[in-house]
Amino acid sequence: MRKIAIAVSALLLMFFMICSVQAADPLVSFAHLKGTIEIAGGTAHIPVMKDAARAIMTYNPNIRINIAGGGSGVGVQKVGEGLVDIGNTGRALSEAEISRYGLKSYPFAMDGVAVIVHPSNPVTQLSAEQVRQIFSGQISKWDAVKGTSDDIHLFTRDEASGTREVFWKKVLNKGSIATRADVVPSNGAMKTAVAQDKDAIGYMSIGYVDDSVKTVVLDGVPATQENALSGKYPVARKLYMNTKGDPTPLVKAFIAYIQSPAAEPMIRKHGFDPIK
Amino acid sequence: MTLRREWWIQKGLLAATLTSVAAIFLLLFLLLYFSFPLLFSGDLKQLFSWRWNPFEGHYGILPMMLGTLLLSILSTVMAFPAALGICAFIYTHRNSCLSRLLLLVVHVMTSIPTVIYGFVSVFILVPPMRRIFAAGAGFCLLTAALTLGLLILPTIVLVFHAYLTQAGGSLRAVSESLGLTPMEQFCFVMLPSASRGLVSALILGFCRAVGDAMIPLMLAGNAAQIPASFLDSIRTLSAHVALVLATDSQSMAYQSVFASGLLLFVMIAMVTALAHHLNRNMLSRCR
Amino acid sequence: MPVRRISNRVLSGFAWIASAGLCLTMLTLIGFLMKRGMTALNAKLFFDNVPWTAAVLGRQPVFDGIWPAVVGSFYLIVLASLIAVPLGMATGITLSEYASPNIRRWISLAVDILAGTPSIIMGLFGFTIILLLRKTLLPQARTCLLLSAVCIALLILPYIIRVTQNSLEAVLPHIRLIGPSCGFTQWQTICYLLLPLSSRGILSGVILGIGRAAEDTAVIMLTGVVAQAGIPQRLWDKFEAIPFHIYCVAAEYQSVRQLDAGFGSALILLAITGILFLAVTFLQRVVVTRYEILS
Repeated sequence: MRKIAIAVSALLLMFFMICSVQAADPLVSFAHLKGTIEIAGGTAHIPVMKDAARAIMTYNPNIRINIAGGGSGVGVQKVGEGLVDIGNTGRALSEAEISRYGLKSYPFAMDGVAVIVHPSNPVTQLSAEQVRQIFSGQISKWDAVKGTSDDIHLFTRDEASGTREVFWKKVLNKGSIATRADVVPSNGAMKTAVAQDKDAIGYMSIGYVDDSVKTVVLDGVPATQENALSGKYPVARKLYMNTKGDPTPLVKAFIAYIQSPAAEPMIRKHGFDPIK
Repeated sequence: MTLRREWWIQKGLLAATLTSVAAIFLLLFLLLYFSFPLLFSGDLKQLFSWRWNPFEGHYGILPMMLGTLLLSILSTVMAFPAALGICAFIYTHRNSCLSRLLLLVVHVMTSIPTVIYGFVSVFILVPPMRRIFAAGAGFCLLTAALTLGLLILPTIVLVFHAYLTQAGGSLRAVSESLGLTPMEQFCFVMLPSASRGLVSALILGFCRAVGDAMIPLMLAGNAAQIPASFLDSIRTLSAHVALVLATDSQSMAYQSVFASGLLLFVMIAMVTALAHHLNRNMLSRCR
Repeated sequence: MPVRRISNRVLSGFAWIASAGLCLTMLTLIGFLMKRGMTALNAKLFFDNVPWTAAVLGRQPVFDGIWPAVVGSFYLIVLASLIAVPLGMATGITLSEYASPNIRRWISLAVDILAGTPSIIMGLFGFTIILLLRKTLLPQARTCLLLSAVCIALLILPYIIRVTQNSLEAVLPHIRLIGPSCGFTQWQTICYLLLPLSSRGILSGVILGIGRAAEDTAVIMLTGVVAQAGIPQRLWDKFEAIPFHIYCVAAEYQSVRQLDAGFGSALILLAITGILFLAVTFLQRVVVTRYEILS
């Protein structure tokens, strides 16, 4: 009799444990769903989306998640025309885009933008004013900012870039960028260009910074994601997912998953800071 | 029985031809259709100016047009003598292992993605360019032209080589019996007789250079300015399309994508038509 | 006489320099790829941590490897060739053998313009087609493998048309006469005499086309390629492709290891197209040797 009671209570205990594990598993909301989610847009989002897709598709093979790039503008257009379910952007949508397509935005991560130079460059800190003068072309040699006597090689991002937008607004105060500045199309290309040129200066998403380039301390604040999240380092942007109108249950579950604590390690792993 | 089959085959071929032609015209039509609103609005004037600075309301794409022209002409001019040399080598050493190897190399080159050419050039061509000329960052007209020349080289070589082998046979026999060395045969007999092939090879190469987006995007620097030298940064129309395609789809800058596309297309159509015209004139003179 | 000898020397010297220069450049390029990419070349690059048998048989999905991209690129090349080669050859034959000079001139012009169309415009074209389809016939239409294949086919079509037409037109008149003199109909002449004779030229066009299909990034970027989709099961699925994979790495790499993996994928792409070329060349050998006497 006692044995049975022990067995029953052990079974009950196990049952509850399984239940509680299930309840804690953030993927449980995908258990009875099936179908395809199509994602397109901002390239910075891809690694995070890929990791999430991997977790979800391993948990429930009935779900298929396709992830495409193309850039923020393509993301908006595709989601607006109904070609994809989620369009990612590295910038807030414009009024015109929201009103034309009826889009809804879901931010999920914070990303700072750092001024970068070659690791061997003696310059370690700059004031925002100096950066403005460098990018507008008023300062054209490094010795004006206590560097070498060489010419400064300017690198900037394309007009569609969310990184450029935030840098232009928050560091340059919407000031001009010299026409002769070389334009690179992506974070990777920016890193490649600056890492190879000891006289180069550029700016890029902190999520992509590694040993091959050096971030410059701006107005005395080091450019890190922690400082960006706390607001100490003001040059930061949000990463968004956008849907047309209200999402389907599957897409809704996906967005909730990316915004949940479960996705935080994935977002951190790729260099961004999750927004709570 | 045979006649009926012949009839069906002819109809089948005709249908296939019509499909191809229909596809071509559909492409033209759609492109025009989508840039139609642009052509008939007042915005056109804004696009045809020399200043590009979307943040201050300047949307001129003329610098990009100049960039495209300069870059594609320069790269074709660079690729042309090299292509001739390679064709001459293959012709004079035909049936030898060396020329077969060279042909293989050229064939393999056609399948190397432009993105790889651009990518590798960033690592092995840009730094020496910066060091040698000590002007700017090394991303410039000349760097892009060198790489682009390499990209269009196989197109020119292969198309011209195909003509040469076709013209082959009897001409070769005749010129050989005249006692011409292989190199003389190539220069004085094959080259003139295949000049039409050369022109069409050059056009294909040129158009490829005009249309390529990846190499200028990765190597030319993309500054929307009028270059003062070969070492200045330039932006081409195709790179412009790639750079701006991702922008706010309701803005004037986005409109410039379609304008650039149309402009590229018109340029290519004009070059092609001109070449056709020249070709016909040349042919009639030869006759 | 000496002038003649000197000019001969100079010209062949130039030919040698041009050819050697090209080979050297290619060696540098491939050497650089090898140096950077070789370390990344292993089973993990292809299949991530999935055992390769399971991945090849499709029992287990591969997430981080390039295997789905390899298969996707292969499907794309084969599909695009299946569309473009028959269409292009038929058009080339019609232009060269059946069409009147006037029609030939206009269609040739159109074909040449198509040949010059930048791939990024071809991509825009595919994109607008899908938008049109959605508004009219098929509201469910989405960008997919088939659309990419059609657009790529359109991209390589002019090469095949042009090369077919030129090769046929270049067959010498006295050889052309063999057909009718044997009592062949026009089609029999084309089929048994002209096509085999011009097979070398046509195949080089096909090779150019395959190379183009394998390497193009701009077209597929707008018409259905994605960064992650798994192996496509149907024509209307999304797919992955190696050039796009390389493009993504170049644009968004986060560490040197990722960059080297990108160079490794580039080597794989070269290997795949190399194999395709060998197959085509072998085919050509078989055809050409059968008609050796005439050429």
